[in-house]
Amino acid sequence: MRTYELVFVVDPRVSDEDVVAMTQEYKQMITAGGSQVSKEESWGRRKLAYPIAKLNEGKYVLLGIESEGGKSSLPEVEHRMRQNDKILRYLTVRTDEDLKRAASRHPKTAGRAGESPAGLAADATTAAGPGGSSAAAAAGEV
Amino acid sequence: MARPRKVFYRRRKVCKFCADKIDYVDFKDVKLLQQFIPERSKILPRRISGTCARHQRLLQQAIKRARHLALIPFTTD
Repeated sequence: MRTYELVFVVDPRVSDEDVVAMTQEYKQMITAGGSQVSKEESWGRRKLAYPIAKLNEGKYVLLGIESEGGKSSLPEVEHRMRQNDKILRYLTVRTDEDLKRAASRHPKTAGRAGESPAGLAADATTAAGPGGSSAAAAAGEV
Repeated sequence: MARPRKVFYRRRKVCKFCADKIDYVDFKDVKLLQQFIPERSKILPRRISGTCARHQRLLQQAIKRARHLALIPFTTD
């Protein structure tokens, strides 16, 4: 089984509800392609380290994906993200091999390897309201 | 001709990742990565940080991923 992490940055002018709707759409595409979404995190509004498209902030969403080898709709999802100009950046990383390698090095401490660092995973469910997302952004910035 | 020898001890550097048993360097862990990007936002060389080769490789990859997502800067102007 392969696991992936997909992070994308949405234009901050897009409302939180629309971000949730977009995320939902991508999740549907992923599940339609025969993979599972195992994790969903919204980091909320975060300051960008450098301006992208003259914007200084972005809304971050992370999806954890599990798929059986072979078919996967990830290329299609990436293609759609590239064409969506509300998405400033996206990044898909395959994590199963690296995590497995890490686990074999230190079997005892391997459990924490796949977890998100405390600063970012402020709200681990779907995108929270305005209050929740700003708290998440504040926590991540320190 | 015994020249007085300067005695100073250089603290032996240890790889932070080995010491903390971090085997997967996560690109999302900005706090961790930030320790390896000095003022100009370059990747801190191993000769300075003492990171071992294996972990420097993982770190380098993680920093580049984080840069792409604008989690950490490419440069400071």
